Order: sequence, then structure tokens, then C-alpha cells
Amino acid sequence: MNSTEIDVSREELHERLMDFAAYVLTSARALYREPQSYGPMRLADTLEKTLELLRAAGVQDEAVDKAMTAVRESRPLAMTDPERFATALDRSIGRLVQATLSESGRDKE
Amino acid sequence: MDVLETIKTRRSARSFADQPLGPHIVEAIEEAILYSPSASNAQEAHVVIVQEKARIRQIKRFAQGLSGWPAALVILCSNRDEALARGGIDSAETLRFINLGVAASAVMLTAQSLGVASCPVRSFHGESVAAIAGLPEAVRPELMISLGYADQPPRPKTSKLLREMISYEQYGN
Repeated sequence: MNSTEIDVSREELHERLMDFAAYVLTSARALYREPQSYGPMRLADTLEKTLELLRAAGVQDEAVDKAMTAVRESRPLAMTDPERFATALDRSIGRLVQATLSESGRDKE
Repeated sequence: MDVLETIKTRRSARSFADQPLGPHIVEAIEEAILYSPSASNAQEAHVVIVQEKARIRQIKRFAQGLSGWPAALVILCSNRDEALARGGIDSAETLRFINLGVAASAVMLTAQSLGVASCPVRSFHGESVAAIAGLPEAVRPELMISLGYADQPPRPKTSKLLREMISYEQYGN
């Protein structure tokens, strides 16, 4: 994980944090009534918003960003083709597993 | 653009350019709302058009299904009390929602005919949106339409086969 320059004001960060908190809570509330496929989509979007917020606050992780590639590419399919989106989630998770093993050095054993 | 072409080319937009709508667009949307039919001519619906950026941000905060930063939001609201008084039980129970669907279609197609993209949104927290829009107790937000100039190409349209959606003379034929 890298620390980078903070590129927004504290006031803007506060606004974005409010946006984020409201998004997560309203999503959670709505999921009681929404289609099942909305759950994975909202969670993926929540992660995307988390990464955006952290990036604005000066925190970035290359491995996580790379792992998100498959999810980002398949995001439009989250509702129309849940199976393909699930496969994309698997690919992203697989990238995180590789990153995890790489961090611990187990991949070199 | 003729009506069928407008219907066929309209797609839900989820990313918008930072460009306000011109007054003629808003006037056309207003007319589309006023001329939309309603069951028993009850005209019980109310519509709030939001264009202030700060208020759009407030609403977006509690509308998880609202993507991008649209130039305007059209909040279509039902009024159960007025529906009952003007359109009877059918309007109060069911038709007020159908009326809003008809109006929503008119708004989106009018926008499309003028080169303005749209997206209907139902994923929002109703009480929060009502509070931000200053709605009275009897007036409830049921559907929002985001409007603006799309800055990304639309997703390809996927639809069922004609035979799956339409029958002739009797179901299944």
C-alpha cells in the first residue's frame, strides 16, 4: 500500500465521506426489497467508492487496483448476466490471493 | 426524430457531461408532464424538477441507483389522498403508479427527441428524498429520472424475443 499526495481539501473529503456513508446505508436498506443480483453489484460499487475515497485521501494499493480490473470490466453485466459477473469476481479474488501469497513469500516456496 | 425512432434509440445513461440543460429543454419536459394522460383525468401526480447542483448532490447521497452527475432530476411523486379524491379507489391503489409510469415515459422520450439522455431510477431512500425535496406528507417520491448529456456510449440493448413478449389473439399464439 502506497501513500500519495492528498489531492482534495479536507472539506471535500468530508463531503465524499458523507456521500459514501449515505450510499452504503441506503444500499443496505434497499437490498431487503431489491433483486438478489443487486447485492453483489452494490458491494462491488461500495469497494470502488472505498478505493476512490482512499485515493483522494492519499492511499492507494496497486495490487488491489489490478485485482479490480476484471470486476470493472464486467460491472455492466452485474444485473444482466450474474454468472459472468460471478466469474469476474472469482478472477479478481484470484488476483488478491496471488497478491496475498506474494506478500507472504509463499509463492516462492 | 419520429416516435418509434426515439423509442428505439433511447438507452439509460449512467454518465453525464458537466453541461446544464437549456431552458427550452426544461420547458419541453414541463409540457410533456402536463400533457401526459392520467386515469380518470385525475392529474393527482406532482413532479419536482431539480437542477441546482448542490441539491442534486444531496439527493444523490440517498439514491444509490443514481449513477453519474446528471444536469437535472425529475422526481415523479404520487399523492394517494388526491388520487382517492379525484380518481377513486382504483387510482389510489393502482392507477396513480401507472400514471407516473406514463408520465415518466413521456419525459424520457421528450428528452431523447431533443438529444438529452435519461435514466429512470427507483433505487433511492424515499423518506430521505422527500425530506430534501420538501415534499408534504401526502406526496411521496416514486420514481426519479436523471437527465443530461451522456458522455459515454450506451450499452447495447438486450430484449426478449418478440414471441416471448407478444401474443396474438390469445396468450401463447
